[in-house]
Amino acid sequence: MRPGSGATTTLLLAAALALAACDWMPGRPREQDRPRNPREITDFATLYANNCAGCHGSEGELGPAREFASPLFQAFLPDPALRNVIREGVPGTGMPAFAKAAGGSLMDPQVEALVSGMRRRWARPSRVDASVLPPYSEADAVAAGYALGDPGRGREAFQRACAGCHGADGNGGEEGGSVVAAAFLGLVSDQMLRTVVVCGRPDLGMPDWREPPPELRLSVQEVSDVVSWLASHRPPDLEPARGASE
Amino acid sequence: MDLRGIGEWFESRLQLGSLYRTTAGHPIPRNSASWWYVFGSATLVCFVLQIVTGICLALVYVPSADEAWTSLEFLNYQQSLGWFLRAVHFWGSNVMVALMTVHMIQVFLMGAHKYPRELTWVIGCVLFIATIGMAFTGQVMRFDQDAYWGLGIGVAIMARIPIVGTALVDLILAGPIIGAETLSRFFTLHVFVVPGLIIAFVTVHLRLVLKRGINEFPVRGKGVVPEEYDEEYAALIEKEGIPFFPDGVDKDIVFSAAVIVAILFCAAIFGPAGPNGEPDPTLIDTVPRPDFYFLSLFAVLALLPPQIETFVLVYVMPVAILLLFLIPFIAGKGAKHPADRPIAVLGVVLICTTISTLAWLGISSPWSPHMDAWSGEPTPVAYVEERSPLELQGAVLIQARQCRNCHALGGRGGQRGPALDDVATRLTADQLTRQILQGGGNMPAYGKHLSPDETTALVAFLRTMRPIGVPGAR
Repeated sequence: MRPGSGATTTLLLAAALALAACDWMPGRPREQDRPRNPREITDFATLYANNCAGCHGSEGELGPAREFASPLFQAFLPDPALRNVIREGVPGTGMPAFAKAAGGSLMDPQVEALVSGMRRRWARPSRVDASVLPPYSEADAVAAGYALGDPGRGREAFQRACAGCHGADGNGGEEGGSVVAAAFLGLVSDQMLRTVVVCGRPDLGMPDWREPPPELRLSVQEVSDVVSWLASHRPPDLEPARGASE
Repeated sequence: MDLRGIGEWFESRLQLGSLYRTTAGHPIPRNSASWWYVFGSATLVCFVLQIVTGICLALVYVPSADEAWTSLEFLNYQQSLGWFLRAVHFWGSNVMVALMTVHMIQVFLMGAHKYPRELTWVIGCVLFIATIGMAFTGQVMRFDQDAYWGLGIGVAIMARIPIVGTALVDLILAGPIIGAETLSRFFTLHVFVVPGLIIAFVTVHLRLVLKRGINEFPVRGKGVVPEEYDEEYAALIEKEGIPFFPDGVDKDIVFSAAVIVAILFCAAIFGPAGPNGEPDPTLIDTVPRPDFYFLSLFAVLALLPPQIETFVLVYVMPVAILLLFLIPFIAGKGAKHPADRPIAVLGVVLICTTISTLAWLGISSPWSPHMDAWSGEPTPVAYVEERSPLELQGAVLIQARQCRNCHALGGRGGQRGPALDDVATRLTADQLTRQILQGGGNMPAYGKHLSPDETTALVAFLRTMRPIGVPGAR
């Protein structure tokens, strides 16, 4: 070996290493930053953050709209209804249609990713006793042998179970606001009322149907009754916002 | 024949000695070998770097609307060090525009545009415009959403030129819209036409520098008198002239090397620009932004009242550019030192401040609604807690009716309209209702798009928007 050739080799090696190191520089575009067509995103976290978090909260709770992070709600809401609400929205309410076909921006696989992602993230079947859960909609309840909601019975049930917070006539009390205000009832579907009576808003301090002491709890029949009493406060000329499953 | 003989054989034919004496070896005033005088040569070095990296990029890049974006993605993610090449070309272009601007400002402040170097300045202005043209056509080469919309805006400006506007657009785009052949035209401009022009004008620019000499470092209180200047300059060179190469070139070499290192450094650390999303005009949820040199123009276009846009674009801008060319004919003699030229210095400060402010506005673009704020920016939790069912419906509608695209809550959302965090301290319920239904200021009227219940809910929620302890507006 000639003298000095060691130094040359070292230098060459160093240069090669430096060049190879360039591919490890922070400026190298990373695969995850690669721009994607928004229609091809099917990752739940991104889809949820871009489309749902605005109203439903970044963690599925503490948003002005429906809380998702409740295992009870996840058990209560069947897949077809969830899919349908995302796709078509709930006409007359703040929930818009998200499916491309319905004027929204999401493709079918994206809606499916939202449905399955919500289940993965928040459903905890082991923590909910599905056998005592009221049917999702009033129609389901009727099909299961319960009677249609009756406003008269509903008023009594409301005064027993709900008046503590919302006032005897529903106009609001110390803890809860009015649930019979005409504008409020004009903006929500009967199904939304039913869902909130059953699932509550635990994130905002409203208990679900199982939480109160036994003498204050609603029965499955009384859930339909309370909803029908609330709905009876809608001004007569007002068509109820159409519920997703109706 | 010995080595010297071979050298002489070539020299007698090529005559490099005299070329050296008239070019690189030309004498310059000793005080012109200054750190202030390094920007022009560094700009030229950047241009050479752009040519080298540009040739390498052209080996892979496919100048067709269908494949350009894919070939950029290939460079970024598959080709070994392809991203680095793109990054060097991108940062090289940014640095070139920046250095050229500094060079221009320095020349102006040192009075180097005055007699007898007026033509040098004029050619420099041509080079300035050609370089900006390179930047614009280069931005189009990066055929992504920014490029697509940037090009759209560029040709929309052209279309406003009276009489020939439409024909110009057809010529540039190869048709009325951005189509398959558009990219080929821009590729031709970016790779052949404009660089060719730059090389030609740089040659003239350098010849003028050689023939009329490099500007001496200005001296306080001493101005240019055209009748005496040539003799004075010749005497200065005679007395203390040094050959540019090798004696006066050291600072240029050091600075240019530093610039190259800085470009490589930026390329390695910050990487290439884009390409961002595919240039698909049907994807409208995009926020296209021009590269930094066009941000101020972007801001001007966004902020001008629509009725004077055409006037500013078609008349004011060309007049401003013409004035730039005419500077040495307007102020071609007299004081050179910046301390003797307060108005010139003030003008530079004013223009720089204006352009940087506009550029900053261009980056933040508060005039653009945030089109995805309604679904992507959660309502602040503090505005959800302790609200009645009706108020919560109002909070839903603030999102669902996309109010937040223009109005921020908790600092998030659009900035086109005022933030709503304390709106209840400013407006009563009646005023809120009227503002929502009838609009006012910049806000459109939403009366036709909202039901009475929706308005009631919105107002109920907005009436809760005040800091604790601060009374609502009455």
